[in-house]
Amino acid sequence: MRKIFTIVSIAIATVSFTGKAISQATPQDATSQNTNIEGTVTDAETGEQLIGVTIQIKGTTVGTITDIEGHYLIQASPDDSLVFSFIGYVTQTIGVGNRTLLDVQLSTDVETLSEVVIVGYGTQRKSDLTGSVSSIRGKDLTQIPSNNPMQALQGKVAGVQVTSSTGAPGAAPVVRIRGVGTFNNASPIYVVDGVILDDISFLNPADIESMEILKDASATAIYGSRGANGVVLVTTKQGSKEDKAPIVTVSGEYSIQKLHKTIDLLNGREFATVANEINPGSYNNVNAVPNTDWQSLIFRDAPIHNYQVSVAGSSPKIQYYVGVGYFNQQGIIPKSSYERVSVRLNNTFHLADNVRLGSNISITPYKQQNTNAFSPYIAYRAQPVVSPRQMDGSYSPVAGVGNVLADINYTNNFDRALRSVGNVFGEVDIIKGLTFRSSFGADLELKKNESFTPAFFVSPQQQNSTSDLNKTNTDRLSWLWENTLNYTKDIGKHRINALVGYTMQEASSEFLKVAGENIIRNGEDFWYFDASNTVGNLTENRVELDQNYSMTSYLFRLNYVFDRRYLFTGSLRRDASSKFSKENRVGYFPAIALGWNIINEAFMQDVSLLTNLKLRGSWGIVGNEKIDYSRRFSPVSNVFGAVFGTNETLYPGSSYGVSGNPDLTWESTYQTDVGLEFALFENQLKGEIDYYRKRTDDILISLPVAGYLGNGVGATITYNAAEVLNQGIEYNLGWSSEINDVTYSISAMGTTINNKALKVMGTGGPGDRLFNSAQTTRTVPGLPIGAFYGYKTDGIFQNQTELDSYPHTSQAGVGDLRFVDVNGDGSLTPDDRTNIGSSIPDFIYGINLEVGYKGIGLSVDFQGQAGNEIYNAKETVRPDLYNFEQHVFDRWRGEGTSNTEPRATAGGYNFQHSSRFVQDGSFLRLRSATISYDLSQSVAEKAKMKSARIYIRGTNLLTWTKFTGYSPEVSGTQPGATGTGVLDNGIDYGTYPVSTVYSFGLNLTF
Amino acid sequence: MKKLKNIYSIYIKTFLILLLVTLGSCNDFLEKPLQGALTQETFPTTERDALLATNAVYNIMLRENYNYGLFPIIDIMSDDSRKGSNPGDAAATVGPFENFTHVATEETLSRWWSTLYEGVKRANVVIERVPSIQMNEQLKSRYIAEANFLRAVFYFDLVRAWGGVPKVTTTNTSRNLPRASQEEIYNLIEQDLLAAIQVLPQKTEYAAADVGRASKGAAKALLAKVYLYQKDFVNAEKYALEVINSGLYDLEPDFANANSKAGEHGQESVFEIGALGEESITRGGNQFGNVQGVRGAPNKGWGFNRPSIALMNSFEQGDPRLDKTVIYLGEVLDGITISGDTDTPNETRDANGNLIEIETYNQKVWTPGNDVPSAFGYNRRLIRYAEVLLIAAEALNENDKPEDALIYLNDVRERAREGNPAILPDRTETDKDVLRDLILHERRVELALEGQRFWDLVRTGKAPSVLGPLGFIEGKHELLPIPQSEMDLTQNIWEQNPQW
Repeated sequence: MRKIFTIVSIAIATVSFTGKAISQATPQDATSQNTNIEGTVTDAETGEQLIGVTIQIKGTTVGTITDIEGHYLIQASPDDSLVFSFIGYVTQTIGVGNRTLLDVQLSTDVETLSEVVIVGYGTQRKSDLTGSVSSIRGKDLTQIPSNNPMQALQGKVAGVQVTSSTGAPGAAPVVRIRGVGTFNNASPIYVVDGVILDDISFLNPADIESMEILKDASATAIYGSRGANGVVLVTTKQGSKEDKAPIVTVSGEYSIQKLHKTIDLLNGREFATVANEINPGSYNNVNAVPNTDWQSLIFRDAPIHNYQVSVAGSSPKIQYYVGVGYFNQQGIIPKSSYERVSVRLNNTFHLADNVRLGSNISITPYKQQNTNAFSPYIAYRAQPVVSPRQMDGSYSPVAGVGNVLADINYTNNFDRALRSVGNVFGEVDIIKGLTFRSSFGADLELKKNESFTPAFFVSPQQQNSTSDLNKTNTDRLSWLWENTLNYTKDIGKHRINALVGYTMQEASSEFLKVAGENIIRNGEDFWYFDASNTVGNLTENRVELDQNYSMTSYLFRLNYVFDRRYLFTGSLRRDASSKFSKENRVGYFPAIALGWNIINEAFMQDVSLLTNLKLRGSWGIVGNEKIDYSRRFSPVSNVFGAVFGTNETLYPGSSYGVSGNPDLTWESTYQTDVGLEFALFENQLKGEIDYYRKRTDDILISLPVAGYLGNGVGATITYNAAEVLNQGIEYNLGWSSEINDVTYSISAMGTTINNKALKVMGTGGPGDRLFNSAQTTRTVPGLPIGAFYGYKTDGIFQNQTELDSYPHTSQAGVGDLRFVDVNGDGSLTPDDRTNIGSSIPDFIYGINLEVGYKGIGLSVDFQGQAGNEIYNAKETVRPDLYNFEQHVFDRWRGEGTSNTEPRATAGGYNFQHSSRFVQDGSFLRLRSATISYDLSQSVAEKAKMKSARIYIRGTNLLTWTKFTGYSPEVSGTQPGATGTGVLDNGIDYGTYPVSTVYSFGLNLTF
Repeated sequence: MKKLKNIYSIYIKTFLILLLVTLGSCNDFLEKPLQGALTQETFPTTERDALLATNAVYNIMLRENYNYGLFPIIDIMSDDSRKGSNPGDAAATVGPFENFTHVATEETLSRWWSTLYEGVKRANVVIERVPSIQMNEQLKSRYIAEANFLRAVFYFDLVRAWGGVPKVTTTNTSRNLPRASQEEIYNLIEQDLLAAIQVLPQKTEYAAADVGRASKGAAKALLAKVYLYQKDFVNAEKYALEVINSGLYDLEPDFANANSKAGEHGQESVFEIGALGEESITRGGNQFGNVQGVRGAPNKGWGFNRPSIALMNSFEQGDPRLDKTVIYLGEVLDGITISGDTDTPNETRDANGNLIEIETYNQKVWTPGNDVPSAFGYNRRLIRYAEVLLIAAEALNENDKPEDALIYLNDVRERAREGNPAILPDRTETDKDVLRDLILHERRVELALEGQRFWDLVRTGKAPSVLGPLGFIEGKHELLPIPQSEMDLTQNIWEQNPQW
């Protein structure tokens, strides 16, 4: 790797002088004391001659630079000192003395090199960077007991919102970078060792060397039509060239998960009391009813095991890293778990000084058991006055919702999968500074799902008359071939880095579902199909709609740095995607950026307070093409059979389905970013602040079309027909220092998000609907994406007079909610529904503290957000009498008793979508607290170890919030549904709760 | 060094060659056609495609929303039926049709409208694309004629419900299509039916496996009805009599079999929608019988379209058809005792204690069996011979041939009386106005709950007087409002129906 960062020179004819005034030392200037000093400047490590090294007589402006052979000649007096400086190398000052020949070896500036940042298709010095990029070290990713590396980013990176919307084992968190700029898939893309992926839940966090989050257009435009939601670059671990002997790392962690909080619901007696108010005489003796706490029956404590071993090292020709990990998480709801083995093999072979061949391969088999996704929702609604089981041990019927224990017991759902992601690459240094790289990467996933429901009977509403077996098989393969030429050259004070590339990618997939019923026995040994038990017309076979495309791209980028002060980056990507028709296929994604390292200006040299000061700005266009490939086609559907014959038979029929839109094209985001980086007090205080503005145009939305066009009921056609703006400020501040033996650091990050739709074609705007199909969100110009939609409440009708004098619907009575006549037309109609909140926070933030003293370490992470609302949907849809949250205690029971909580009713009027169910979603969470102890070096060595650490950690220990549900991190997708989470964000159905986790771990390095 | 140089120059050459090869094949590489389905450009193009496309037009009639947007609102708007189900069920969505408080935003309306036009589109696929297919010419013209017939069926619903509607006759429709006049739509229906009559085989000429397809008799019967609605009684008489005189049809001896499982595709059936006892349209089920099926025990369905007390009272004393039209609690059908729904009151009275509803169900949609799938097997009868007789009677009376009219009217009554001379005596009235009312009454009791009454009242001008007490406003409620979503989506280029 080091080779890449080494500045090499090649033979070209001219050497130009840099802008800063350095007078050429000429013989005419010579005084009698001056003598000619000459010599050659080389790289201390490689011995290569360095051209363009500045040699200056200290304290003067007199100087010269080395020629193409690294040679220099300067006239100086014996009292002078010569200053040898070159970008990327440690500056040397050497007294002349009596010498006439002075050969100098410059060594590379390790500090500068350590500040290298991975960018798309290359690397850059942090100081040369013009884009907004956040870097995370690998060790920070293992601080959370999770299978998914993104989980650890919560509250760590400005501009990045990570939401663990469900605690189900194996579930991926929802990741949003700088707001939400689409109604479709708003997740970033992931680039793992160069392979572009949609998700990285297969990655073992312990195998990751670093992660870079590319946020602004300068950084993301090189990913063109896929960069609009941000890009997460992941570099996995390599054996270091320095470590000749293998380094063996062993780590183990055991955790126990507990339900973070319970929801305050009514107990049996309380419920019976309220039920008697709704239907008088329901319970004769409220003291004698059963009292079932359904929540306590479905949740349990559950362990996580996480172990890994890795070996890394190198020989002169080979660098290697082998990592094996085992992760096993049991869910806090029975019949849910996630188990994964991850194997990683990373190798680089140095075939010659200038030829490298390598591979990064991961193989990840995993198994996931999915419990009934609705079980927390069912337990929440179940009446507490029903015992879970009847006298004979069978499950009791539970009115309206069914018996959740039976639901869990009869759910058998398993995913078994193998995912393998990897690449092989070759690199050739054609001439010094010019490297050709070709990388072939692939992402393969073979996944099958099996679900079995036995025949059972709890009640007429909760039964399965014949057993059901479903199996789905999904295979998915995408490959990516990237060819790049990278040219780096330093000429004096000019540094150029140019990239051109051509890439090809193709994704294919197949989905097959087979269904059966009346399986002869319930046991897993009988979960197979044969001619007698398959249900043919439930068979389904297709491609995965988002995994069937091909793409070719050309990329260009030029970085130019002048004198370490002025930075320029220009990039352009041309993408051609099969997802769009021939006419709309090709897109160009340009970006330009400028940077100014103010700290390197002469006038800053005396400002000792500041150790870094940089201003940068960028503008560019990036795209989002994460849509299913089929939307532009007008398909023919084959499920239009009809029944004919005296012996009635279904005959097949086919005809036009819903029309497609051949004019579709990708979404375009125009992004501007201005950033300031600074460091003070010898880097003890570091900070970065960015302003961003992202306007996304041509957003794909599905619009209803007129019925007479014949596309059928509720048919929608996708159009590029909306526009959204995200803007805000993000910052990172860190202070690290030490007092005596105590090291400590504090860092804080924050992001403001101002999201609003600018244009939405169509009537009403796209929205989300709850189970009762009433609309809960609506996206219209001027409001945030997916704003909550419903009636605004402003009190309770206290008496008949008040009821009569206010606009109300015929269903409203005294003691019911008063809805605001928003449009002021004197009557209350559905037109009075309005914006009642937004799930998008105004501000997200994180605070991290670390203290160390003689091997003892304490680290504490807080994370929070403010200014968002949550829609408590689990409380609303009530066709039957369900349990209530405890706020029903405050209900209206006569004039003046309450002006917020209406009279007790089972459902209906008061449960229409209204601001009554909108809650403040702000929260602050103690994300994790870790106490660790590192064995002292001497003790470790006695035990033949390089290092040893033990720690205890708590995750999700405390949450401060007003929200009454399990967790204020709500993404809102209905249980079991696979929405994009954009239009239904922040709607709480009581999904699988996130738990509090207590961990104990051990890391040993040999 | 030299050797190494050779090695990597080989690498480079290999890469460059590969690169050039792939760059050259770029165009094909970026073509990803739709997987697993034809696109509309390539269908229908074969003889088999033509058959599939034709079957797909019939498929629309199995769609739940083909039936008035799921709920039988056309009956519920008449004096023959009430919403049904339990009091709260769909009170906000179906309830308004009971007392004419429905509005343009009712989703029932947009669902029905969109489904009818989906049917029109599928018929247009056949009419527009099948002619250019190389295939058996006889089959080709029959398929097109079937599509003509079905398009007429869909437009007849559209024109009756909404009056002048957009006239869509091609698969590539303008997005700014104006509303056509009522007359233009009726002209299209007549053209389609006349074309169908030219080509379609008689019901009996179809192979047993094809029974249920559109026939010449069905097209003529529908055309007679279409003329009747336009008060073209000469043509109504002509086509009704052609059906009658074809000798291919007769009344079922038992009135119940006019709609029962036993009477499917029987001698009285002129056109019906074949359905299987499957709880899924793609498996051949039809929800029509489920929506109106007995609620509770047996659990056949939702129990909408509850026979009104007015309907029950309108049957003549002892008319056996009453008991074969209405399911009462406690009744035993095919060995199954009807217990009904626990959430539905057995009797409902108004504030003054007057009985306004009793828990009953529509027996016309009854199928044997005590479960939901069995209810999906009901074959909805669109035209049956009894109606053809009554159309003939009505047209003949209007054409001043009362004696002839009485023949057909009394045919219907004769079957109904089941040989009991004490009931349902033959009509002898020849006064045109009186006879008109008698025929209308016969339609009411014979065709009760079959989606006729509301439109019969509207076309005969009796709706304001009969339905006025229920909320019907003359000049407004003859037509439904164009669905509001449709008005919005077409940017209000159309004029809404009067008074809506």
